[in-house]
Amino acid sequence: MSSTVSSVRRPDVKVSPKARKGSLQPRVAPWMFVAPALALFMAFLLIPILYAVYLSFTRLKVTTGGAFGARTQVFVGFDNYVLSLSDPELLASLRRLATFGIISVPLTLGLALAFALLLDLPQIRYGRFSRTAIFLPYAVPGVIATLLWGFLYLPSTSPFNYVSRALGLGDINFLGLPGLYGSLANIAVWGGLGFNMIVMYTALRSIPGEIYEAATIDGANEWQVAWRIKIPLMTPALVLTFLFSLIATLQAYGEPQTLKSLTSTISFTFFPLMKVYRDAFGNDDVAGAAATSVVLAIGTLVISLLLLRVLQRRAFGEEK
Amino acid sequence: MKITRTTAALASLGIAALTLAGCSSAGASTEGSTSDTETAASGPVTLDYWGWAPNMQKVVDIWNKANPSIQVKYTEAAGASDLPPKLLSAERAGNGPDVAQAEYQKLPSLVVGGVVKDITDNVKSFKSEFTDSSWASTTLNGAVYAVPQDAGPMMMFYRADLFAKYGLDEPKTWADFATAAEKIHAADPSVYLGTLPQDGGTFTGLVQQAGGNWWTADGDKWKVSIGTSPSTDVADYWQKLAKTGALYTQPFLTPEWNKLVADGKILTWSAGVWAPGVIESVAPDTAGKWAAAPLPQWKSGDVNTGFMGGSAVFITKSSKHPVESAKFLEWLNGSTEGSGYLASISNIYPASIAGQAGLASASVPTLMSAQTDFYSIAAEVSAHTAKVTWGPNVQTAFDAFSDKLQAAQTGGTSFSDALKTVQDLTVADLEKNGFTVER
Repeated sequence: MSSTVSSVRRPDVKVSPKARKGSLQPRVAPWMFVAPALALFMAFLLIPILYAVYLSFTRLKVTTGGAFGARTQVFVGFDNYVLSLSDPELLASLRRLATFGIISVPLTLGLALAFALLLDLPQIRYGRFSRTAIFLPYAVPGVIATLLWGFLYLPSTSPFNYVSRALGLGDINFLGLPGLYGSLANIAVWGGLGFNMIVMYTALRSIPGEIYEAATIDGANEWQVAWRIKIPLMTPALVLTFLFSLIATLQAYGEPQTLKSLTSTISFTFFPLMKVYRDAFGNDDVAGAAATSVVLAIGTLVISLLLLRVLQRRAFGEEK
Repeated sequence: MKITRTTAALASLGIAALTLAGCSSAGASTEGSTSDTETAASGPVTLDYWGWAPNMQKVVDIWNKANPSIQVKYTEAAGASDLPPKLLSAERAGNGPDVAQAEYQKLPSLVVGGVVKDITDNVKSFKSEFTDSSWASTTLNGAVYAVPQDAGPMMMFYRADLFAKYGLDEPKTWADFATAAEKIHAADPSVYLGTLPQDGGTFTGLVQQAGGNWWTADGDKWKVSIGTSPSTDVADYWQKLAKTGALYTQPFLTPEWNKLVADGKILTWSAGVWAPGVIESVAPDTAGKWAAAPLPQWKSGDVNTGFMGGSAVFITKSSKHPVESAKFLEWLNGSTEGSGYLASISNIYPASIAGQAGLASASVPTLMSAQTDFYSIAAEVSAHTAKVTWGPNVQTAFDAFSDKLQAAQTGGTSFSDALKTVQDLTVADLEKNGFTVER
């Protein structure tokens, strides 16, 4: 290190022999800086993923006969994958997930965009308070948010039902089908709105103000500025939030699992990740759960890559 | 440069993998020693005990005070349904406790999961403290795997005051129960006589009362009888009753159910003998207004019932102190002193002979303070409980049952068909795990 510093301070002096010694030396420093992150990544991400993939090719099976023989680990090849892909429960759970996603993703992003644009208006009042208020639900942990909403949905504790009963309209069925999808989506939108809004708002703030001045001179009103200038210029942020929302929806787990204890409409395999959890811990079939989660991960990867490929020009074309 | 980068990446991956492998504890636990080589440790020993029984820490404190050489560290590790997966994960990682509580129905799957020690020899000295039928619940293929702690023969608990208000008699048969349900619902549509049994625990108890068993072991083979009579007969009865709208059709012990019970909108709960403590914790203002009765029967004059819950305590394969653990379990579950504390402090119905005898003079739970003969009714019911066998995949079947029954209830399809689907799923799961199933 000191040799590098001294060679910077006195450029007229020849480069010290130490610095010239091994061609690897200048490249050790970056690796050392990255090492902690690399170690954590390998310990908590890479190695567990590889272990899960390994597990997905095994199964705990009774090999010695008997009605109560102990199960031992056996290699079964792709059998877990075949069983997982041919399980009608997985397909049904993906269908339910799609219904949930179709409601929650457009609502979250649409509302986030609307709020971000509104907060970016020059004549906004109480801007900082609004930003904080919209962002606050994101800070509430998922399980607590779900329990909170759960009590607002339960017929006997819900203030909404209290009002509707007082008006003579009877109970609103928040936790039965088909209202359940809307109720679940509501929790997701309420929680995810703030984060997406902040990302979009930050993107808006980085647009130089001269563009707006030019537009106003050309006679554009606020709506036209938003539609023709702001949104096209925030396309990278929009694509990013859309991708993150999509991935988060594919991994939806906390809301249905926590609401499950409040209603019988949610089965053990309501969403794909709930099925993975049930297989691993309810059925004591960790290998089968590993196979299903690998399938889901590959599916998520494929969708993300396709999405980025399709939108690449729009999202990152300017920078290429 | 390319070579250096790739080599460096591979090298760091390899080093990290080796480091982590070295950090983790040794893999598979060694086989538990047989009783020939088991000896008591010299010097004070600490046992880890995982369970969920209420106030167990107080009972353990009493033992710890009297036994400085065998100290027990109690942890309320998880509830009844969450403890088995925790135990399996912990044991497979080498971090398991010495003794752990398990429901009778989950014991076979834990045995098959390879985490339970065969304690046939350890319990020889105190076999007489439990009845043969108690030991039958923890004996599989002739080997004893756990010491029974509490028993859960099913009874019906009902609001005596509201029954009087609606002019109802205690239903002695299921036909009486159906008539009463419709009568109450006609009188007040917001009141339900009972809850639809959509969880495996309640439903199998009712099937046992009707003389059925979801699993039976025939030598090396399993026979699954979920989608056949009498299981389907019980399902048909409850479906007919649910169709009249006289039952509450959401699961019990949810916040909604608790509120309805507290408000007097649900009048009965058929559950194990341990139910009074639970009802009191969710509806404390209704104390003193309940009464207990044997379950309604299929044929007038019968005295059958099934089991719902009830648990035993086992010694794990990885425990280093099986002799001391067996000593502790004998005191806790079998002795007069220990069983007495289980009843008075933990509010459970002990399985031991001494425990049940000791209850004859105990005061009845405050939930039914007016019914002074509660414990003699409980003892009578307990004496006529069906013999039960549990298969190695009880949780799988129970989860599938809950899902399919709830779907049939919302969709209006046949409960019997749902049971047939559960049968197919259970058999497929058994075969997938390498068991032989009699078709």
